[in-house]
Amino acid sequence: MNTYRTWLSLFARYATIIGLFAMILTFSVLSPKAFPSFANFTNVLNQTSLVMILAGGLTLAVIVGELDLSVGFGASLHGILVTGLIVHDKIPIPVAILIVVAAGGLIGLVNGFIVTKMRVNSVIATLGTGTIITGLAFAYSAGVPIVAGVPEGFLQLSLGRWLWGIPNNIVVMGVVLGALWVLVEKTALGQEIQAVGGNASAARLAGINVDRVKILGFVIAGMCSALTGILLASRLGSGTASAADSYLLTAFAAVFLGSATLRDGEFHVFGTFIGALIIAVGFNGLNIFGAPTFSQYVFQGAILIVAVGLSSLGRMLAEK
Amino acid sequence: MNPAPTFNLQTGTQIAPPFLEAHAIAKSYGGVAALKGVSLKIAPGQIHGLVGANGAGKSTFIKILAGLVRPDGGTIAVDGVDADIHAPDQATALGMSFIHQELAFVPGMTVLENLMLGVPKPQRLGLIDWAAVEVSVAPLVTRLGIRSGLHAPVRGLSAAENWLISICRALVRKARLIVMDEPTASLSDAEAERLLAIIRDLSASGVAVLYVSHRLDEVLGICDSVTVFRDGQLAASFGRGDLTRDRLVTAIVGHAPEQTPALTAPKLADKPMLCVANLCRLPAVRNVSFQVHSGEVLGLGGLVGAGRTELARLIFGADRRDSGTMMLDGAAHDPRTPRQAVKAGVGYVPEERRADGLLLTKSIAFNLSLANLDKVIFGPMLPFVSAKARSSLALETIRALSIKATGPQQPVGRLSGGNQQKVVIGRWLNRRPKLLILDEPTRGVDIGARAEIHRLVREMARGGMAVIAISSEPDELPELCDRVLVMAEGRIVKELKGTDVTRKAIIGASYSGTVQSA
Repeated sequence: MNTYRTWLSLFARYATIIGLFAMILTFSVLSPKAFPSFANFTNVLNQTSLVMILAGGLTLAVIVGELDLSVGFGASLHGILVTGLIVHDKIPIPVAILIVVAAGGLIGLVNGFIVTKMRVNSVIATLGTGTIITGLAFAYSAGVPIVAGVPEGFLQLSLGRWLWGIPNNIVVMGVVLGALWVLVEKTALGQEIQAVGGNASAARLAGINVDRVKILGFVIAGMCSALTGILLASRLGSGTASAADSYLLTAFAAVFLGSATLRDGEFHVFGTFIGALIIAVGFNGLNIFGAPTFSQYVFQGAILIVAVGLSSLGRMLAEK
Repeated sequence: MNPAPTFNLQTGTQIAPPFLEAHAIAKSYGGVAALKGVSLKIAPGQIHGLVGANGAGKSTFIKILAGLVRPDGGTIAVDGVDADIHAPDQATALGMSFIHQELAFVPGMTVLENLMLGVPKPQRLGLIDWAAVEVSVAPLVTRLGIRSGLHAPVRGLSAAENWLISICRALVRKARLIVMDEPTASLSDAEAERLLAIIRDLSASGVAVLYVSHRLDEVLGICDSVTVFRDGQLAASFGRGDLTRDRLVTAIVGHAPEQTPALTAPKLADKPMLCVANLCRLPAVRNVSFQVHSGEVLGLGGLVGAGRTELARLIFGADRRDSGTMMLDGAAHDPRTPRQAVKAGVGYVPEERRADGLLLTKSIAFNLSLANLDKVIFGPMLPFVSAKARSSLALETIRALSIKATGPQQPVGRLSGGNQQKVVIGRWLNRRPKLLILDEPTRGVDIGARAEIHRLVREMARGGMAVIAISSEPDELPELCDRVLVMAEGRIVKELKGTDVTRKAIIGASYSGTVQSA
């Protein structure tokens, strides 16, 4: 391998991390009072926690080699569902949460079944289920947000703080991403997950049940989508039929940025965390400097393209 | 090249200048020579046979003519003018058409649309004038006897109809040489006869045909001249007069000294490890029955496409059988998935190790542990991978197979072909399967690694495993196997044992099989 390729390969691996630090440095220099404070950092992390949970689940789906476009719509539905169960059906909060997480898993199961057993391309399959989910969300809420009568206990779920004043959202995010990281990197099942995504044919011939592993990826994505929806409803204090739809694009950008981080175009949970952090810091910076709204869209679209480009570059270099 | 008429040295008569003249064509893939300077001439209207064993270089030669592969050396002249073919459309423009076994049509489009694909079509008011198109192709359609409607979709037509349409397409493009690769492989006898009649008709009208086939009887019956490739070299070329079956076979097999190492006879168990009876999956596997004992290496020989890989996939559960029974170690063996086969005690080393065997960006340790996950975790109740256990398992395998690597963490993509293959085999070494199936175990592997892999496979067999090895390389099976079954067109046509396992016997039987069924 010649030096040019080596440098290019190093660039593809570390570009995201360098970019993150460059952004932090730039914002700190330009706005030494507002940006580099513990409060602002907690704030950024708190705001992006929900996207991180969603993206973490999505990471599992993409590691097994599929895309799940339904997770954003799913999170919206789950937000309404959990508020409805608590407000209208008077179901205790922990039980409602369990029901909704199970519902998220069920949606993932359906997605996985459609993709593996009916052999529908995952982009189309989850675009379809995502649209159906949006319909269900409108049907459940009759198009009207559930606002009144949300109990204080449920609001505290997202707004509350843990020890040392760390917001609950960050704690949940840490636990979820930590668990996913251990699952993928440290367990036997995780090996199968990586093998299926890396080379499904080789995995099958090595005796791995490829379909089961893929379905599992979708189930985990669905459950994380449910968690995101629950926390979002708690943060907003209401359930709205399209509250989390916009999270989808951000989560995808995070996942692809993550695949270009440290590894050669391979999806991994820690990478997703870094990817989401880059986007959050970027948004925060744009906010602090009062950049107009349109620039946020431009930033997010551009970063998605850059992310996928870096990811493919890394993969291309790794496979020679 | 000299465009002037040349003389046939044998008859002394003046003959037309060749339509195609390839001279000293050479091509290497990563240091391995596929063609070592072959030459071939085809006169207009000539039916020219091209034969040779697997890996003789026929496919590479055709790909070079088609502009799919660039030669490293040599020249190609068409009509006496040097031609530099570097893209398929140039080959078409020069008047060459290529018809393969996997036919290239758009299945949802009609016969007529497929015929005219990529050809300028008459237009009226900026729209394609299909009526005029139909009129223009009508004579060809009648001449070839295409009976399917021109407006029927190509999807669902028989293999024979597909061939006729391919030939028609070649003629629409004004082809003067049609290269046909195994044209009768998937045709019935009657259909094959009809195709041969059409080829003679083409020849009479001045269209040359390069007829690539393993079916020697057809080659003997139809070709005006035959070129034989062997190991990337021109082994022989025959004119009509000196063409006999024996000479062809001798040229294909060659006089290479047989280097059959004296293999010690295996000590076989009384009961067979695998017992296959009347196994079918049409059209690739037809009524196959055989047994393998633990302790022996059984080879499956034959030509590419004889059904050996397909047979292996049935045993490994990658495909389902149509009928027949299998017994593994005394129990019924009916795997629906590879996973079930692995659990029953079968291991499989696939033909395409990069595509089907390895995760190239992952480490040696990762790849080795794939079939051994239960061995690298802390325990059934604690399914976490122990990095230490995985590394030591990998180190053990690396040492046992002498894999040349910087360590267990090196990505397998950075290893040489031979070492990659050892990783795929090593995956099964620790699992100790009852039956190990190796499909082309040393393809693309250097000689040293090849000998090591052979030694290793034989050791595994002597340790009590039953091994089935598939190889298309004529020399490999005699070096590796105690016993060889030769397959042809889905059937086992010959069993060779002990000192009868020779390169010559295997190749001979590969072709004899095609005679019996022809």
